[in-house]
Amino acid sequence: MSDSRDKLLRMRSNEITEDHNHDGVDRRGFLRCMAWAGTGALCVMQGGVLKSFALPDAGKKKIKGDLSFVQISDSHMGFNKPANPDVTGTFQTALDRIKALNVQPEFLLHTGDITHLSKTEQFDTVEQMLKQNSMPQTFYVPGEHDFLEDDGRTYLDRFGKNAQGSGWYSFDQKGVHFIGLVNVVNLKAGGLGNLGQEQLEWLEKDVKHLSHSTPIVIFAHIPLWAVYPQWGWGTEDSAQALAYLKKFGSVSVLNGHIHQTMQKVEGNVTFHTACSTAFPQPHPGAAEGPGPMKVPADQLRSVLGITDVNFVHGSHALAVTDSNLA
Amino acid sequence: MNTRGLKLPLAVAGLSLMALIFIATLKTMQAAETSMASDTGSTEVRIDNFTFQAPTITVPAGSEVTWVNRDDIPHTVVSEDKVFTSNALDTDDKFTYKFSQPGTYKYFCSLHPKMTGEVVVK
Repeated sequence: MSDSRDKLLRMRSNEITEDHNHDGVDRRGFLRCMAWAGTGALCVMQGGVLKSFALPDAGKKKIKGDLSFVQISDSHMGFNKPANPDVTGTFQTALDRIKALNVQPEFLLHTGDITHLSKTEQFDTVEQMLKQNSMPQTFYVPGEHDFLEDDGRTYLDRFGKNAQGSGWYSFDQKGVHFIGLVNVVNLKAGGLGNLGQEQLEWLEKDVKHLSHSTPIVIFAHIPLWAVYPQWGWGTEDSAQALAYLKKFGSVSVLNGHIHQTMQKVEGNVTFHTACSTAFPQPHPGAAEGPGPMKVPADQLRSVLGITDVNFVHGSHALAVTDSNLA
Repeated sequence: MNTRGLKLPLAVAGLSLMALIFIATLKTMQAAETSMASDTGSTEVRIDNFTFQAPTITVPAGSEVTWVNRDDIPHTVVSEDKVFTSNALDTDDKFTYKFSQPGTYKYFCSLHPKMTGEVVVK
């Protein structure tokens, strides 16, 4: 546990902790751009050189991209405990932030825990709010809170029409291949997130015939790297999934579940987790457990957020910007 | 002194003492039986802060175990051998299972599988 804490402290002081490639990418600059639970920075990779713009300046710039989308996560509609008695209000604030973006997203990705208790009315509220705020098409993957009833039938009937198994699927947008994975079902005692053999076999086939220059975006609820296994923050069989993606020059993994932003770069893969729009959770090891973290009411919105993603053809990585709701 | 006069009160005192001891013993036995009855009654396992607060409990066969969620996040109670499965328990929700057969029953929370516990039934 203390190793993880040391690592996190070193990350915060901008020391390089992950450097598995020597490909000329300035990871020190990239790590400096990490949005760590509250502040925002726009980082754009251009031919391996990093340029960074601090928010709110970046918000005013027109970030040119071929594709722009927003990741939202962990809305936990229906949660009403002291950590946030008004998740509807903070979700609305997130939608207001999206509407205020200079470049409007072409679609949204929701990385799960859409609802708190898988209730129909909770799913209804989220969908209605997106509609009332004229949000574009939203692609979902479930969190464990979305599969609490009927083995996930409520979620699958609503969002799984073009999906397979427990809700995995892929789609293409402007030459970028998006893959929604489900790692929150059939979890084993004492274990982490789990993709399962059937989904892994599907994934292998799904990417087999794509050219290695196709940018790949994976989105799934639980992080696909071992953020903090002691709290279940990782996926047992993600290594096999990533092995199928080795040939690609640009792979971005977008996750939720941990209610804070973290990033890691490993070779051709950039991992990123998003803030929740409902409540924050403690940094790894900073509390007894990963439960909802109470902060003073006037600070709540500064630890919730959305993630804006821009893609420029020819660049190796997506430009990922986290912004909070304050 | 007339010893005959003393013998009767002494005997009565002795008998009374024996009776008192007997009654006291009876009451203790009854008390013991009552607490044994409640041992085969119900045991509570509190869930809080992402842990089953009594990770291992031992109960006699025929007793009930009730899990109470005092955490501010829902949890489930799922036996590894699929002997019992609770619904999602929100804060203050309960789940009770009666353990008729002896054995060791390992369980976990299917939402947060790092949370594990066991019930040993004798």
